[in-house]
Amino acid sequence: MLSASLVLFGLTLGLKDNPLVPIGPGFYPRIVLGVTAALSLWLVVADAAGRRSRKPAPAPDHNYLLVGLMFLLFGLYCGALAFLGYRLSTVLYVAAANALLDPPRGARGWGRVALVAVLTAFLTHLVFERYLTVLLPRGTWTGF
Amino acid sequence: MFELLGAGLANIVQAKYLVPLFIGTLVGVVGGALPGITITMTVIVVLPFTFGLEPLQGLAAMIGVYVGGETGGLITSCLLGIPGKPSAVATTFDGFPMAKAGEPGRALWLGVWASIFGGLLGAVFLVASTGPLATLALAFGPWEYFSLFILALSMVAGLVESSLVKGLLSGAIGCVVTILGNDPVMGKERLTLGIKFLEGGIPFLPVLIGVFAFAQIMSEVQRMGGGRKALQAVDRGLSLAVSHLRVMWEILSRPVLLLWSTFIGLVIGVLPAIGGSAANMLAYDQAKKFSSRPEKFGTGIPEGIIASEASNNANVAGSLVTIMAFGIPGDAVTAVMLGALTIHGIQSGPLFISQNATLAYGMFAAYIVAHAVALAILLPGVRWMLRIVDIPKAILFPVVVVLCVIGAYALNNTVDNVYVLLVFGVFGYGMVKFGFPLAPFILGVILGDQIEINLIRAVMSDSDPWLFLTRPISGGLLLASVLSFAAALWQHRRVQNRTAAAQGDADF
Repeated sequence: MLSASLVLFGLTLGLKDNPLVPIGPGFYPRIVLGVTAALSLWLVVADAAGRRSRKPAPAPDHNYLLVGLMFLLFGLYCGALAFLGYRLSTVLYVAAANALLDPPRGARGWGRVALVAVLTAFLTHLVFERYLTVLLPRGTWTGF
Repeated sequence: MFELLGAGLANIVQAKYLVPLFIGTLVGVVGGALPGITITMTVIVVLPFTFGLEPLQGLAAMIGVYVGGETGGLITSCLLGIPGKPSAVATTFDGFPMAKAGEPGRALWLGVWASIFGGLLGAVFLVASTGPLATLALAFGPWEYFSLFILALSMVAGLVESSLVKGLLSGAIGCVVTILGNDPVMGKERLTLGIKFLEGGIPFLPVLIGVFAFAQIMSEVQRMGGGRKALQAVDRGLSLAVSHLRVMWEILSRPVLLLWSTFIGLVIGVLPAIGGSAANMLAYDQAKKFSSRPEKFGTGIPEGIIASEASNNANVAGSLVTIMAFGIPGDAVTAVMLGALTIHGIQSGPLFISQNATLAYGMFAAYIVAHAVALAILLPGVRWMLRIVDIPKAILFPVVVVLCVIGAYALNNTVDNVYVLLVFGVFGYGMVKFGFPLAPFILGVILGDQIEINLIRAVMSDSDPWLFLTRPISGGLLLASVLSFAAALWQHRRVQNRTAAAQGDADF
């Protein structure tokens, strides 16, 4: 955050003032980014100072791999929306996410995954497109 | 005022408004009852459904979610000892022991009726104070608005428990989001880094949805090891039968407790971005302090349930006052409502109530009627709610994500908003993991533009910077910001010293 705010602060120095307005477009960003950089620096220094005396905390039992995979899946879903369209990408995403969170066992399990995925895509598409006139993404590859 | 409220009530009971209100309240009750699903997430899920509706229909649905969620959260708190939402944590302290002691119906309905009474008392404040506060705000110039927004940000950052610096930094990062894109006064492009999408700035709703929804979903996912259900076991054989008149009398025979808890809920609601979780803990704490039998708290006494539930429903009314009179969201749920208003081209703030009287009084009416609707849902449906909370999260979470995607995409029919959702989803989860509070960040995103606009307007009107301090209201608000900051600093020091002393005791 410190480096990002410093880079952006540097960029604001290149913004030219407007003769019609007494303070230019860079005035407020400079204040905000200056405050952000100062607070980030404070945090870095406080963290460095506190690290020496702090005892290491026990690592919590968290499934970060699952979180990473869920984000990856969501990233793929976002990317697929423009190419495959809402319906197909939603079926694939819901099925994959459901299977990842609760790995199906046997044909019954896979049937549940498929049913949830198809129903989610079908019902949301029906409700939003037909009844709420909200247009959902069309795929450039699929045409629907 | 009463004439307009009467017209609002007559309006809201029409089927076209009552149906969305009913559905919103039902979804809110279910969302509130589901542990791990907050009211914010529920209202985010409902948001895309409101795009195709009239403004009052959409807002009625959202108010229904809010009221229903606050009421529904007590079901699992009382019957299973697991709070359905953060603002029902204190309900668990006495609700669950009472249920375990063989009075589950009494525990549950004490909570429901206290919610209804607290909410309706809050409605009196909502209807009576929004207009006068908006009139007061009309006297504000850019100096006062600037100072008001600074006060809001400093209060929220200061109320963060973990770290004051992290709270302030979180608010500042929120403001950074608003400086990317065109400057709001002259429209000059700035800090777009060559990205075309950034030229129009970052829309705040996908940011809000991404940050809140993913921070919560992923925090739940990291604790999952497979197809864990929302709840493992529910005793469906328990009897919830109770004499409602007796339960109501138990609440009404403690008028001071009810009024004081409602007042706490209202005050916390009016303060920006604090929310019902603080209201319910504070009201519980106050009830215990003023009680003649504080030692009984936590063993299953009605005072604990009444204080907690009356305050969290009154908190809703307080939040609505802030958004309707000042245009500042009282919490994350009203931030989403602010977004819904913006989508329909309605500007919230001091002029909202005078320019949109039908809508404003319709919202008041929706808030009042939502309590009756929640009661009508819970009377026959409590047992069903216990079944619904059995829905596996492995099914629930992907569906919620899909609805978040629709909500972001449908804002202006662009996939770019979905990418914003992804980026801020990752960012929000990162913030939570590194201990940064989300509330100041969101308030920064919402108020950042307004802070800049009012700062520049003030300087353009009169370049004397001392006016921020010498104008009485502006100066008072800035003084309040400094005091709030100093109080937060003092509070943090006290907690740190206490923690250090406790560690010292433990070491020796």
